[in-house]
Amino acid sequence: MTERYERLCAAVSKALETPERGTALQRCMQRGRDSRGRAIAALPGGEAFRAEVKAIKDRCIDRQDELVAKFTASARARGAHVHSAENGAAAIEYVLDLARKRGAATIAKSKSLTTEEIEINDPLIEAGLRVIETDLGELIIQLVHERPYHLVFPAVHKLTAEVAEIFAKSLDKEVSPDIPSIMKVVRAYLRPIFLDADIGMTGANIGVAENGSIVIETNEGNGRLVSTIGNCHVCVMGIEKIVDTIDEALTLVLAHPVSSSGQLPTTYVTWMAGRAPLGEGDAARETHIILLDNGRKAMRQDPGLKEALNCIRCGACMNICTTYGVVGGHTFGHIYPGPIGIPWTAAVHGLDKAAEFTPLCISCGLCREICPAEIDLPMLIAEVKHRVAKEDGYRRADRTMMDAERFAQVGSTLAPVANRVLKNPTARRIMSRALGIDANRVLPAFSRKTFTQLFPGHTSTVADPVRKVALFIDVYANFNRPDIGMAAVACLEAAGCEVLLPEQRASGYPYIGYGDLDRAREAAAFNVARLAPLAEEGCDIVAIEPTAAYCLCHAYPALLGGSRKSRSVAERSFEIFRYLLDHEPEGQADNLSGRRYGFHVSCHQRPMGSGREAMEWLQRRGAHVELIETGTCCGMGGTFGLKAGPLGQGLSKAAGEGLCKKIRESGVEAMVSESSVCALQLREGTGLPVFHPLELLRHAKGEKKQGGHA
Amino acid sequence: MNDTVIASFTKRYESLGGQVRVAVSTESAALAAVEIVRERGGTRVAVAGLDEPLAEAFERALAGAGVEVLREPFTGVKLPHGIDECQAGITGAVFGIAQSGTLAEVATNDAVRLVSGLPRTHIGVVKASEIVERFEDAAPRLRAIFSEHSGACTVSFISGPSRTGDIELILTMGVHGPEAAYVIVLDDAEGRDSQ
Repeated sequence: MTERYERLCAAVSKALETPERGTALQRCMQRGRDSRGRAIAALPGGEAFRAEVKAIKDRCIDRQDELVAKFTASARARGAHVHSAENGAAAIEYVLDLARKRGAATIAKSKSLTTEEIEINDPLIEAGLRVIETDLGELIIQLVHERPYHLVFPAVHKLTAEVAEIFAKSLDKEVSPDIPSIMKVVRAYLRPIFLDADIGMTGANIGVAENGSIVIETNEGNGRLVSTIGNCHVCVMGIEKIVDTIDEALTLVLAHPVSSSGQLPTTYVTWMAGRAPLGEGDAARETHIILLDNGRKAMRQDPGLKEALNCIRCGACMNICTTYGVVGGHTFGHIYPGPIGIPWTAAVHGLDKAAEFTPLCISCGLCREICPAEIDLPMLIAEVKHRVAKEDGYRRADRTMMDAERFAQVGSTLAPVANRVLKNPTARRIMSRALGIDANRVLPAFSRKTFTQLFPGHTSTVADPVRKVALFIDVYANFNRPDIGMAAVACLEAAGCEVLLPEQRASGYPYIGYGDLDRAREAAAFNVARLAPLAEEGCDIVAIEPTAAYCLCHAYPALLGGSRKSRSVAERSFEIFRYLLDHEPEGQADNLSGRRYGFHVSCHQRPMGSGREAMEWLQRRGAHVELIETGTCCGMGGTFGLKAGPLGQGLSKAAGEGLCKKIRESGVEAMVSESSVCALQLREGTGLPVFHPLELLRHAKGEKKQGGHA
Repeated sequence: MNDTVIASFTKRYESLGGQVRVAVSTESAALAAVEIVRERGGTRVAVAGLDEPLAEAFERALAGAGVEVLREPFTGVKLPHGIDECQAGITGAVFGIAQSGTLAEVATNDAVRLVSGLPRTHIGVVKASEIVERFEDAAPRLRAIFSEHSGACTVSFISGPSRTGDIELILTMGVHGPEAAYVIVLDDAEGRDSQ
C-alpha cells in the first residue's frame, strides 16, 4: 500500500513541477465546459434531459438480460453475426479467428473505448495484423504508444506543435505546427488505409433492441468509412449499451455530445442494422457484433458499483474534475481515466488498479452535478475507497481528517492552549508528522465555549413563532465560530422562527470523502433518527455549512438506501440563505453598501442553488457581490488540502491556483463564502479577507470583524 | 409552414459550418448543384439515393456543364476507389431535422454512404415537406424506415461537414469526411412546381 501511495505521490510531485502542462489541460477542460453550457442553454428543457437519461439507463440496465436477448434476435434477423464474449480474451480470440478465416492483413479502427478496455490492438499486431486507429486523437496516442488521457479527447494533452512533431517523426514527412497542415497530412496518410482495409472495427455508442441496429456517433466521419468499406465489419460493444427503443436511443444521441462537446448531435450518427452490399459487388459482406461482458454482469449484481453502468462515456466528469486538471489522465486513470474511471477500473480491471489513483478524488462532488446520467459518482468512488481501505487500512492523515469532530472537541476544551499550539511552528511540525496535518496551513482557532454550550443560555426574541426550525450546526460553527451560529439564530428569529438545537453529530462527510462508509452510515443514521421525528411534525431543518446541507439533502438518503426517514429529513432540509430568502420580512436595512465583494460557490452548493440565494440575501442588504468562479473546485476538497504532502496541500494549492489568480485579478476588496474550508484556501491563495455572509451582517452592525482567524 | 421550417433548418445547418440553398423546382435544384460543383472545382461527381426524376435532372444538368457523373448502381465503377476519385458526392435525404440541422440518409447499399463520406464536398438534397421540426420527431420516421427495409439498412444522420476537436479541443473542419457540406432544400410547397 505504501509503495502504491509513494508512486502516486511521485507522479503528483512531477505534475506539480510542470504547471504549464496542467494549465493547458485546464484551458481545454474549460473549453469543454463552456461549450456544454452553451448547448444546454439552447436545449429545450435545459438540464431536464439528465433525469430522462437516468431513467432510461436505470430501466435498461434492470432489463438487461431481456434486452440482450431481444437485441441479439433482431440483429441476427437483419443478417448480423452476434457473439457474446465473457471477457477480453474471448473477444480477442474471436477477432483473431475471424481475421485468420478471412485472410485479413489490415484492420482499420474507429474510436472505441471498449476495445481499449480489453487492449485488443497488441495481440492483433503480434498475430501479424496491421492495426490502424483512424480517429485523429486515437491515432496520435497510438503513434506514441500511450493510453487515452481523456475519454472523448484521448490526445488532449498533446499541444499542436507536439502533434506536428509526432506525425513528422512517424510518417517521415515535414509537418508545419498548425492544425490545417496536420489535417492534410493525416488525410493523405489514412485515405489508402480506409480504402484498402480488410476489416473495419468500431465500437458502438448504443445498441437498439427494437431494430437490432448499432448506433455509432462520430464527428470526423471515420466511423462511417470504417463501417462501410472493408467487407468485414466488427463491432465490440459492452452489453450495458443496449437500450430497448429508438426513442430511448434518440435521447442518448443528444445527451452524449451535449455533455462532451456541446453538440446536438455529433456530425454523424450512424444507425447500422445488418450489413448492406456495396455496389453490384458479390463479395460476402459481414458484420460481427461482439457483446462484451468483462465484469459488467457482476457489476450489475454489485449494489456498490451498479450505477456506474449508467455511464454514457461523455467525459464531462473529467472536464470538471479539479485534480484531474492538474495531474492529467495518465496519473488519474488506468485505461478509463477521470472520476468515472475509478469505479469502472475497479469493476473491469480490478481493485488494485483502481487503488493506484483513487486517492486523487477529493470528493468535491462536481462530477455528480455534471453527469448527464446523474450518476452519484462521489458515492461510487467512496465505495471503491472503502474497499481499498478494507484491504490496506487508512492513511494516518485520512484518519485524522475523519476524526475532525473529536479533535475539535479536544481543541475547544483546551482552547487557549490548543490555539497557541496551532500557532507554534515546532508543534505544527510534530502535528504534521504525527497526524499528517500540513504544518503551514493556517488553521481556525477554537472557541472555548461551543455553540452547543452557548445556545441554551440564549433567550428567544420571538414572541409568536410562525414556524419551528431545527438548526444543524456541524463542526466549524460549533467549535470554532459559535458567533456565526448565533448570527444564524438571530436571522432565523427575525424571520419569525423558533430555533431548536436537537441532539446531533457532525455531518460525517469526511467519512464519505476518505471512504469509511460504515461510519458515514452511522453518522447519517444518528442524525436522521433525531431529525426525522421533528421533520415529520412539520419542523424545518436549516444548515449553515453547505456540506452539511448537502449531507441532509443528498448524501444521507443515498447512504441509508432512500429510507422513509431520510427522505423526510431531506424534504424539509434547507441551506440557510434559501430559507431566509423565503421567510424573512421585506425591506431589509441597506447596510452593506459601499464595498465590492467577490462570491465563491462551494462545490456542495452546486445542487442547491449554486450560492445564488446567499448572493441575493446580501444584495437585499445593499452589498455589491459578484460571482467569481472557474466552474471547478477551489482545490480544498473539504479537508483534503489540509493534509501534508503532494497528495494534500501540494495538489490542493495547484488545483486552486486558477481560481485564486482570477480573484486576485478581479480587484474585489474581500471574498464571501459560506464554506469554512473553502475560506481557508481562498485566504491563503489570495491574501484577501474571506467572510461568511452572516459575518458581514455583524460587521455592518459595528461588531468585531473577522474574515480571518483571530 | 415550409418557410419557417426551412429558415430554422438553414440557421442551424449553417451554424454548423454548412451551406443551404433553397430551390423551388427540380430544375433549379439541379442548377444549384451545378453551381456548387463548379465553385468547388469538380469534374467528376457521384450521385446516389435521389428519386428518379431528381436523379435524372441532376445528371442532365451536370453532364451539360461538362461534369462526369457516376450513378447507381455504379456498374463498372471500382468501389470504393471510383467514388473516392470524385470531387463531390450528391445524396438524397429521406428526411431532415430542423432543430439539429440534420439530414437523414438511408442506405440499403453501402455505396450511398461512400458518396456522402469519401469526397471532399457533399451535397445533400431534401424536400422541405420532409423536414421535421424537433429531434424527437425523428423516432417515428426511423421506425418507419426500419420496418420498410427489414434486412440490412443503415440510416446516417449528417449535420454539417466532418469535424474534429482532437487537438486542444479546437474545432477544425474536414478531417476524414467532406470539408464542405451543402444542402439543397427543394421547396415543394403547394402551388410551387415540385415536378
